[in-house]
Amino acid sequence: MDDKLKRSFMDSVINSIEWLAALFVGIVAADIFISVLLRYFFAVQIPDGYDFGRLLLGILIFWGIAATSYRGTHITVDLVWGAGGPRMRRAMDIFATLVLLFVVTVHTATLYDKVRSTYAENLVTYDLKLPIWPFFAVAWIGDVSAVVLIAIRTYQLIFSPELVGGRHETDAGK
Amino acid sequence: MVLSTNTVAITGFVVLFALMLLRVPVGMAMGLVGVTGYSYLTGAEPALKLVALTSMRTVTDYTFGVIPMFLLMGAFVSKSGVSRELFRAANTLVGHLKGGLGIATIVACGGFAAICGSSVATAATFSTVAYPEMRRYGYPQAFSTGVIAAGGTLGAMLPPSTVLAVYGIITQQDIGKLFIAGIIPGILAMSMYVTTIAVIVMVRPGLLPAGTASSWTERRQALRDVWAPLLLFAFVIGGLYGGLFTPTEAGGVGAGGAFILGVLRRRLTRGDIREALLQATRTAAAVFTVLIGALLFGYFLTITQTPQKLTEFLTGLGLGRYWVLTLIMLMYIALGCLMDAMAMIILTVPIIFPVITSLGFDPIWFGVIIVMTVELGLIHPPVGMNVFVIKSVVKNVSFTTIFKGVIPFVITDLLRLTILISFPIIAIYLPGRMG
Repeated sequence: MDDKLKRSFMDSVINSIEWLAALFVGIVAADIFISVLLRYFFAVQIPDGYDFGRLLLGILIFWGIAATSYRGTHITVDLVWGAGGPRMRRAMDIFATLVLLFVVTVHTATLYDKVRSTYAENLVTYDLKLPIWPFFAVAWIGDVSAVVLIAIRTYQLIFSPELVGGRHETDAGK
Repeated sequence: MVLSTNTVAITGFVVLFALMLLRVPVGMAMGLVGVTGYSYLTGAEPALKLVALTSMRTVTDYTFGVIPMFLLMGAFVSKSGVSRELFRAANTLVGHLKGGLGIATIVACGGFAAICGSSVATAATFSTVAYPEMRRYGYPQAFSTGVIAAGGTLGAMLPPSTVLAVYGIITQQDIGKLFIAGIIPGILAMSMYVTTIAVIVMVRPGLLPAGTASSWTERRQALRDVWAPLLLFAFVIGGLYGGLFTPTEAGGVGAGGAFILGVLRRRLTRGDIREALLQATRTAAAVFTVLIGALLFGYFLTITQTPQKLTEFLTGLGLGRYWVLTLIMLMYIALGCLMDAMAMIILTVPIIFPVITSLGFDPIWFGVIIVMTVELGLIHPPVGMNVFVIKSVVKNVSFTTIFKGVIPFVITDLLRLTILISFPIIAIYLPGRMG
């Protein structure tokens, strides 16, 4: 597979992950919006609207973090990086991505325990008594995909830097 | 060899700063140092348990949903082209005055920032909307870019402000009250920026020429385009103030409302909707990563008793509370040279906040003060995030030119900060009357 194909394949994988997370943002917003309307105009509420909202929020954040990590759009201090030359920038990027990989891997391992303990404790939602662990499991899969994607990014940074895309602008932190 | 808690705390901070300077994401660096330090002092098992517990609790906390919801509302509004309509409306009203285009930029920035909540997004948007217009009428580059950089900072003050929401989460203050607390200081900021432009016109009458006068029909038409988004903003913030919604619900209603308005007014295409959802997701993921890291780092701070020790140290200096406050703000202004607003708030507030409360300052008021101070960092050298954003949009302008244009507004900001410290009631009047 040539570089262009590899890049376009990776882009479609990331776009799908990001799009999935973005879809959850829309669902959470719709859940809240409809809940408020129903409460004020019809004095009824969506069963488990509150629990669905917060659990979907968890899923979207972990899936979003996966895409953010691959794209390199986390909030960073760019003072030294911005002043450095291309070699220094690449070295810093590799170091930062390795640290990221380590942290997210440890996080994923600990989160697996959390999913297991939630399953064992049989925690359920408030109204419909649905088990909570599947939501946590989906969130955890997002974290697993973050590990895979960061590993790919690390490999690309070391061996094929031309495959690593540029930063996408986020307006976090303003 | 067993290190004392003081040594561990100092080592932790040194490693944290080193990691951040090496461009490790702020949230990851804070999480790593926090958990490593905590595990050194208490053992690995409890530290690792904290990791999953904290992250899962943070991302599934309904209250924290306020961040993605308001981000989504802002993204829908941005994509609907409201910035251009706001500028046009303000321009028809004041564009015929000397400096009028500058005033229109400030007013439109305020209106846009109030809905979108992001300083950088505001600066980036108005670099494309207002800058060409100001240049067309012969406004100098320095002023044109400076006024946009300053106008952009209104995003962090006027509700809904992402930075104030994060401050509220970290300090466990009522986010709704914090949003409302930003209203009068935000309006004060706009008024003072407008006054600054008027002073510039008085001192150098030929610098900012008058634009074309608009007819009343044109004015009515322009205002007709902006009433809907402004009504949505008033409804969302009014509902928050009146206790109709929680902050998260207000965000959800705002996002839903912005979506419906955009679709009904045919301003949102399928591509725009997709882009808005993606933009909100990316930013929310980045903010939540830092939040999780900050909360993990918070455990480390607690176990090393860093905030208590700093409080004892600062109150033991015998300087008086306003001098301690001045020291803290100077530190923020200095830090503003190194990092952006969100990173600064998340890193320092857990340490500084106990000092502030022990000195008897109001936490809501301090939220406004601290956000205003870090916002200064968005426009002062050498980092000045808004300046970088403007530079990335307006290619043929130098950093020096933008920073020159920003100077009058930085002076105004310092004056405003002094006013707010002298009269805290400006910030705490409205939250004190909330339902």
